[in-house]
Amino acid sequence: MRIEYFQLIDRIVDLDLGGRTIRVDAQVPQQSTIFEGHFPGHPLMPGVLLIEAMAQTSGWLVIAATKFERMPFLAAVKEAKLRSFVVPGQLLSITAKLLHEGSGFAMTRASIAVAGKATCEAELTLRVMPFPDPRLRANMEEMAARIGFPMQALPHG
Amino acid sequence: MMSSTFDTVANIISETCDIPREKITPDSHAIDDLGIDSLDFLDIAFAIDKAFGIKLPLEQWTAEVNDGKATTEQYFVLKNLCSRIDGLVAAKGAA
Repeated sequence: MRIEYFQLIDRIVDLDLGGRTIRVDAQVPQQSTIFEGHFPGHPLMPGVLLIEAMAQTSGWLVIAATKFERMPFLAAVKEAKLRSFVVPGQLLSITAKLLHEGSGFAMTRASIAVAGKATCEAELTLRVMPFPDPRLRANMEEMAARIGFPMQALPHG
Repeated sequence: MMSSTFDTVANIISETCDIPREKITPDSHAIDDLGIDSLDFLDIAFAIDKAFGIKLPLEQWTAEVNDGKATTEQYFVLKNLCSRIDGLVAAKGAA
């Protein structure tokens, strides 16, 4: 996890386009300037970053479902629950399910488990649009290769 | 057919956007009269897509409005929206 760069997902563990689900791993770093401020003497992964991690997980699922032709952007967060503290060094197992693929938007339900324990969940709305800049798409493709995005799993056509 | 489509859509709008059901009529413009913005409309589209088993072509409609090829009234006055929904349902049945 490159937390300062908002690059939160380390590895795609499973992508099931038939079941419209994805599972990824994200390792919270031991050290970060973020933990110096949040909070001194009690470092915690910020809740907004946990929601962001669920959004990024959902986003990779949408990118797969749209054959890497569209870029998702977080638009709404509903029913978000942060059930327990997440601290430096913990490994997040994040899953997302595509509830609906609409025209220009997607709805997902995502959750985070730490050591098998349900830790966070939310329902997310993503706006889905053509990549607004080719540099963004190129960057996302680089990131996809780094986190093991299975290009070969994309449906052809 | 049309009236039941309208009832379903009006109930969805009422529940999704917390708008009193009696304020929603076939002549209501979702944006101009009911004050529904594009983000809230995604929740409505989600519920309509699910209820009718269709996919409202929002991207196409938005592009047509932005290009001046259509007006928002053609898509977002509820009686017009309902007739589009009926058309999409019929097209799905014919496919």
